[in-house]
Amino acid sequence: MGFILTTLIFLVIGIIACFCARICCNKGPSANLFHLTLVITATVCCWMMWAIVYLAQMNPLIVPILSEGE
Amino acid sequence: MADGECLPAMDLMRSEPMQLARVIIPMESAHRAISYLGELGLFQFKDLNKDKSPFQRTYATQIKRCGEMARKIRFFRDQMNKAGVTSTKLTYGSVMTLDDLEAKLGELEAELLEMNANSEKLQHAYNELVEYRLVLKKMGEVFNSAQKKATIQHREQEHRRVEGSIDSPLLLEQEMTTDSSKQVKLGYVSGLVPRDKSIAFERILFRATRGNVFLKQDPVGEPVVDPVSGQKVEKNVFIVFHSGERAKSKVLKICDAFGANRYPFTDDAGKQHQMITEVNGKLAELKTTIDVGQHHLVSVLQSISLQFEQWKTMVKKEKSIYHTLNMLSFDVTKKCLVAEGWCPVFATNQIQKTLMQASTDSNSQIGAIFEILHTKEAPPTYFCTNKFTASFQEIVNAYGVAKYQEANPGVYTIVTFPFLFAVMFGDWGHGICLFLATLILILREKTYSSQKLGDIMEMAFGGRYVIIMMSIFSIYTGVIYNECFSVPFEIFGPSAYACRDPSCRDATTIGLIKVRETYPFGVDPIWHGTRSELPFLNSLKMKMSILLGVAQMNLGIILSYFNATFFRNEIDIWYQFVPQMIFLNSLFGYLSLLIIVKWCTGSKADLYHVMIYMFLSPMDDLDDNQLFLGQKYLQLLLLFLALIAVPWMLIPKPFLLKKQHEERHRGEAYVPLGALDDNLGPDSTPRSHGGHEEFEFSEVLVHQLIHTIEFVLGSVSNTASYLRLWALSLAHSELSKVFYEKVLILAWGYNSVVILIIGIIVFIFATVGVLLVMESLSAFLHALRLHWVEFQNKFYQGDGYRFYPFSFALMGDDEE
Repeated sequence: MGFILTTLIFLVIGIIACFCARICCNKGPSANLFHLTLVITATVCCWMMWAIVYLAQMNPLIVPILSEGE
Repeated sequence: MADGECLPAMDLMRSEPMQLARVIIPMESAHRAISYLGELGLFQFKDLNKDKSPFQRTYATQIKRCGEMARKIRFFRDQMNKAGVTSTKLTYGSVMTLDDLEAKLGELEAELLEMNANSEKLQHAYNELVEYRLVLKKMGEVFNSAQKKATIQHREQEHRRVEGSIDSPLLLEQEMTTDSSKQVKLGYVSGLVPRDKSIAFERILFRATRGNVFLKQDPVGEPVVDPVSGQKVEKNVFIVFHSGERAKSKVLKICDAFGANRYPFTDDAGKQHQMITEVNGKLAELKTTIDVGQHHLVSVLQSISLQFEQWKTMVKKEKSIYHTLNMLSFDVTKKCLVAEGWCPVFATNQIQKTLMQASTDSNSQIGAIFEILHTKEAPPTYFCTNKFTASFQEIVNAYGVAKYQEANPGVYTIVTFPFLFAVMFGDWGHGICLFLATLILILREKTYSSQKLGDIMEMAFGGRYVIIMMSIFSIYTGVIYNECFSVPFEIFGPSAYACRDPSCRDATTIGLIKVRETYPFGVDPIWHGTRSELPFLNSLKMKMSILLGVAQMNLGIILSYFNATFFRNEIDIWYQFVPQMIFLNSLFGYLSLLIIVKWCTGSKADLYHVMIYMFLSPMDDLDDNQLFLGQKYLQLLLLFLALIAVPWMLIPKPFLLKKQHEERHRGEAYVPLGALDDNLGPDSTPRSHGGHEEFEFSEVLVHQLIHTIEFVLGSVSNTASYLRLWALSLAHSELSKVFYEKVLILAWGYNSVVILIIGIIVFIFATVGVLLVMESLSAFLHALRLHWVEFQNKFYQGDGYRFYPFSFALMGDDEE
């Protein structure tokens, strides 16, 4: 549940960033496509990193063992 | 080459379309046309006179003239630096022709040389007079004191003689007269000798004249400027009394050998006084003359400095224009110059307008002709970059310039390079420090770009946009790894773990358990400092590296598909792209799938075991290592697909290429006899204009074999290579933890302000030096390697050459 929710949040942020890029620098179709590619790549990279870390912690096989004196 | 797909073109993805153009310019407007094209900066000239030596070319004399003028300008700059006059920024003085400039530079140089020679002569004379004055003063004192003593002694003698008896006056008178007739006149030599040589001077004089000279030395208080060397030297004033001509010549020779300057001296007190006043007068005169001369020099240099920059640029421009004119060839009538070169297709209108402008400005009757040639030669690659994308494109170009119109990895490098750096750097505290440092560079862009920076600063400034992207991504990955100077924070809610029971007995033996939902963003803060932190994080980061690596490699193979589509290379799509995708994904894509399924289900399957036994004994049952239903059959299928992908990559392509080559050149088997003779002639470079291509089947087969083996073995090694993302990230976090715990916390524990301050200073230096500088460089290098090798070897040829137009803006500020 938390996974899907946050994935949707990433998707929304990505779409908003695309719109911002389109509004701020609208310099013709080839430049627009270029900016779109950059924004999508950045969003996908960031999402992948978060998703990997989240999935790894969902069903852990190792649990934290505190060290002495904590 | 228009792409057959309906995808619109993307900026920077492929090189701008280039064309080979020929420009025919009439002689009278040639110089102006080249000058205007240089301002425009979009035309790359081809050297049409390549076989001529530099001296055979048409404009060699002009270039020599420009070289002379450049030398004079360098001379002016040296003079200005010596006098401490700085050149002001470009002021717009009068526009003059090259001949006028040459004349003006020549006369200014002559004037400066003359002034320098004069001032040197005057200075020499001044220094000599200063030394002479010293000699006069000191020796005057010596003679005066000696005279006083002598008169006293004489008076005493006189006194004694008068008082003496009458008995022996005759004898004494005789002695006196004989004394006076036998009196040998003493000669003397006076001058200055350097103090460090004075003892040796004395010794050699003594030895050479067998002790028959009297030397008196007197040190001078302050250092004197030596007229010969122009340096300040400590000197002694000396006077040597000698008798006889031979002794005099020996003394003179020794003085010359020791570099002692000699000055004449009279023993007449009246004349001494006169000489001193004369010398003082001359010194004052010389000083004013020298000052006036210096003042004049400075004013001339200042007037030069106002126009210096303008002249320098003008000479540089003219030199480059003549170099370019040398590359053009004459046409048949010898009245026009022919230029051939590359230019982007979009610049055609601009170039034509510029040429028309040049023709009208130089009042020529004929306009220049611009025509497009068709050739099979490979054009240069041109990307229209702005200041942001230029630095990323430089990173890609450093490996190899893209072949004309192949896909440019720079598009994705803009995001993936800082991202992979950040995966290895992951600490948002350090990220913020980097961000602030680079922000300063970017905010003061204008001042820094006009200054001359040192080598290292120049590199850092040139890459400022790369570094700021790296720092922004580092802040993000730092938040995900939950590390700020290695300290975790509970920003996104409570940790997911808690003790098993309220007394927390088992916390240090068996550990905590997961009681809440997974920590929503990033690594749970509880992990820091636990005993099982490293096993957990290592497993996480290794698997993350594999997943990111497989994703990037798939992107690379997909880019090769786009290349094949663009160049309409069907063979490459079916017999390279498809088997490569199948091979990579049936092995490492499957591994990625297993990782994700294991995480989602929480199974205890051993993935090493699964992967290895998939190859060793694929028919065995999986038992405990079963992650999902039908896994065994899926593994058998994937193994089979991978196995047939290898011959699929290797065998069909060479045969199909051979068939394609035969079809293309089917009609060329029969050539007329005359053409055959031509082919055997010295024109053995048919490739330069796209002639008959050779096709060696064995060569193509070997090439394909190498390519296949490289891909198959490379898929294993490249995937493992991505584990450096884990390794560097671990190193960074461990170093950061050590500095934090062993420096800062240790200093805090002593409860003393002095030790705390020392600890903070050591911590700051260690963080900046090791973590921010060294680790940054290290992560930069490894991210670069991952891009250049693991990403780009899937699709990048990189054997093009760069478009380097004739442009005044691109002329570097080369300090020759």
